[in-house]
Formats: sequence, C-alpha cells, structure tokens
Amino acid sequence: MTGLDDPILPTSIAWGLLAAFSVLWVVLGWWLGRRNKTAEDHMLAGRNVGLALATATAMATWVTANTTMTAPQLALQLGVWGMLGYSLGALGLILFAPLARRIRELMPRGFTSGDFIRLRFGTFTWRVFLVVSLIYAFGWLVSMAMAGGVLINALAGIDYRVGMTVILTVCVVYTLLGGLRAVIGTDFIQTIIIIGGAAFIAWLTIDKVGFEAIHFNLMEERPELLNLLFPAAIMFLFNNLLFGVGEIFHSNVWWSRAFAFGRNVGFRAYLFGGLLWLPIPIVAGFIALATPALGINVPAADMVGPLVAAEVLGLTGAIVVFIVVFAALASSLDSLLAATSDLVTRDIYRGHIRPQASEQHQFHATKVIVVLLGLLTWLAASYRGEIPIVGSLAELLYFTGAFVASAIWPIVAGLYWQKANPQGAAWSMILGSGIGLASYFLIGFYVAALVGAAVSLAVMVLTTWLMPRPFDWGRLARSDAEVPA
Amino acid sequence: MTISITALSVIVVIATSVATLTPILLLALFIRDWKKGCLW
Repeated sequence: MTGLDDPILPTSIAWGLLAAFSVLWVVLGWWLGRRNKTAEDHMLAGRNVGLALATATAMATWVTANTTMTAPQLALQLGVWGMLGYSLGALGLILFAPLARRIRELMPRGFTSGDFIRLRFGTFTWRVFLVVSLIYAFGWLVSMAMAGGVLINALAGIDYRVGMTVILTVCVVYTLLGGLRAVIGTDFIQTIIIIGGAAFIAWLTIDKVGFEAIHFNLMEERPELLNLLFPAAIMFLFNNLLFGVGEIFHSNVWWSRAFAFGRNVGFRAYLFGGLLWLPIPIVAGFIALATPALGINVPAADMVGPLVAAEVLGLTGAIVVFIVVFAALASSLDSLLAATSDLVTRDIYRGHIRPQASEQHQFHATKVIVVLLGLLTWLAASYRGEIPIVGSLAELLYFTGAFVASAIWPIVAGLYWQKANPQGAAWSMILGSGIGLASYFLIGFYVAALVGAAVSLAVMVLTTWLMPRPFDWGRLARSDAEVPA
Repeated sequence: MTISITALSVIVVIATSVATLTPILLLALFIRDWKKGCLW
C-alpha cells in the first residue's frame, strides 16, 4: 500500500531527472530564441508556425498538470463521467479552430486578445476583459506551480516549496530566453513525452490489473463511479465543457497562437489538436478506477494518478510519471507565462502606462514582466493551503470557471455578430462572473461555469437585440497596430 | 444504470490506442514540414 508519507521515487533519481530536463529545456529555449530581435519575434515566433509544431503546441498547452492530476481525481470522485467529462475539454480546441481562422483574417497584425476587445468593444469592455483574463491567467499559473510542488513532494519527498521553485524557475528562464519560439519548440518534445508516457502507464495498468478486476471491485466498493446517471457527474460534464470553451475562447494563450500560426494553419492545428487531445483525460483518468482493485489508500484525491502508477509499475512507473508531469507542467507554465506577459506588456504597459513604447522597448518590457509574473506566482503558490480559497487543485481551477465562461459570448459575438453591443459585452462578463461565483459558493464548484455562461449569454443577446451597434470589420485590420487611446 | 465491462473496456482501449499513435503522427507531420521548409 502506498501513501503520501512514502515517496515513491528516490530523491537522488528525482534530482537527476530534474537537473537533466531543466538543462534540456533551458538550452533548447536559448537555442530556439537566439534569433529573436523584436517584440514580434519574441511574442509571436515570426507569425509563420507550421502545422506539426502548431498542433503539438495546442495539445501540449491544453495537457496540463491539471489534466494529469485532476483527470484521475475526477474519475475517483465522479467515476466514468468524471474522465469523460474532462475529455470534453477537447471541444474548446475544436470549436476554437474556426475562430482562429477568423481572428487571423480580421487582424493579420494583431498581438493579443486584448487588442481585439479594445478595438471591437472600446475601452470600458477592454478593461473588464483584462480583469477577467488576468484573474484566470493568474489562477491557472498558481494552480500549475502548486501542482509542481505537490507532485515533486509526493513522488520524491523533495520539499514542496523547493520543487515548486525549481520548476517555476526553469520555465521562467527558458521563456525569458526564447519567447514563444522556445515555448512552441519545447512543447513539441513535451507532447511526445506526455502522451507516450500516459499511454504506457495505461497499457500496463490494463495488462496488470485488467478490466474485470477493476469493474468487479468498483461494483463492490464504489458502484456510484460506474453509474451513468450520477447527477453531480452529469452536471460536471456540461460545466466542464463550458469551462474548457471559455478558457480557450478568451485566453491570450490561444489568441497569441492564432496570430503566430502560419496563414491557413490555425484552423487545422486546433482541429487536429482537439481531436488528438480528446482521449488523453480518459487515458490519464482511467487508472484511478483501479484503486479499489489495487487496495490503494488515497490520502489526497489529487494524488491518485501517481499513486496508482507507482503501485502498478514500481520504480519505472514513478520515473515515467515524474517525467510526464514535469513535461506537462512545463508545457503549460511556459505558454501561460509567455502569453500573460504579452497581454500585460501590450494591454497594461503599452495600453495604460506608456502608449508610445517602441517595439524594442516592448521587447525588453515583456522579459521583465515574465520575471515579475514568475515571482508573483511563486509568492502565491508558496502559501498553498494557508489561503482559505486555495484548497485542492480542482477547486482552484473551477473557481476561475465563472470568469472564463462569462467571456465566451462576448468573444463569439465580437467575432461574428456585426451588431453586438459593446456595453452588453462588458455587462455580460461582469454579471456572468458575479452570479457564476455566487453559484460556486452556494451550489458547488461544478456549476460555476454553467451559470456564468448562461447569464452572460442572456445579457449579450438581450442588449444586442434591444440596442444593436453596427461595426465596420475593416477597422480591426486597419487599426490593430495603432497606439491605444 | 451501470456501465458494462465491455463498454468501459472499449472506451479505454480506443482512447489508449489513439494516444499511442499520436506521437507517431506528430513526428510524421514534423518530418513533412521540415522537408517542405515550413516548420516556422
């Protein structure tokens, strides 16, 4: 029996793996970014990323530590629907495919999602959007830094703060050195590692435990996990669908890629990325269903994946999980650091503080902001468990659900409805986030995104129907490089 | 309504098979882009 008190990987091996992969990512980041000369090179990798790298970066960024840890956790808590519901997160990538094409057509020289909201809806909505977007980005950053510390501690007994600091520092350094080119290049290798490792663990779990033993023991001990009419799980399924769509539609992580991928690449990259991502939460989550058959005591739900892997595969399993999780963490942390620093540079620094900042000035500013973001994330993640709201990873993740889901309809309306009302877009985010958050506390984490999206849709439709505001699409292409007012 | 062993195993085996083939597909795409000079 395995528990959190017994590290499953010798500390010396863990430090060796950490050192080897840290050096690999940093050297690769430096090498890929050595030709970056302007803010555009650094932020958008030259705007001509090909299909292979584009598909891999879409997948790698969407496979986070939350996928590798929360998918098993949700399978353990919500059963079959937990892992299937998580896999519906792929729809966010698939549905973003046509949006990516539209974004590239409307704003061929755009930089951030904030640029679009500012030009499409004006200053007030832009500021509301920045608040929503930055709350989400910071929540995601902190949740991944926490996941890094928790996993390294549980797998190898390395102190939580030390592990979290190492992984965060490595990501900050190579993102700083290579910008988006480094992020996308490392993402390709990380995707291969993550998916190959997850599939390897799943095949061995099937081989060593077997479906019959898994099914029989679940029926004996946790029959609700096999119930297809588990109400909370079905609610979770729809909530997760909207959460995933909201995360992708609004976040600059995905918009910056839409601007960076070559012409005609974005649509196919997001479509392929989504289709290939779909099975990953099932592969990662399924192994949690083996806990009753293995007789594993799970002291913390978000540690179930690594515990099962180590129980089934011993030292090899622990090593594979460690490498997979390190790759998953790095692939998302780097993307988020790069995209959030771009958003802060363009929309906060250039947009609000120094409107006349030159390209070169922004190039330097984005690097300083990456370091500051890393420091802020480190501070917040250092106090895991000491801030009442920051409980388990899933709770932290779904806390941001109300914010992101409330941004779905303003984005869709902004891209496709010529008469979308700008004030309506702002109020749909404000009311959607507020009422969604209330439902998070009053009902449960699994409804926040659902309620946020529903309220946001109602406000957007109602305001546009009552007060339509015609918009000239050509304005986006003409003025996407202009200095904000 | 409980999911059967067959349904559970079919879902998991298909998902794991797709995940196994994905790295191969990505490497093939990479080689194609590299040969055509359109990696970046």
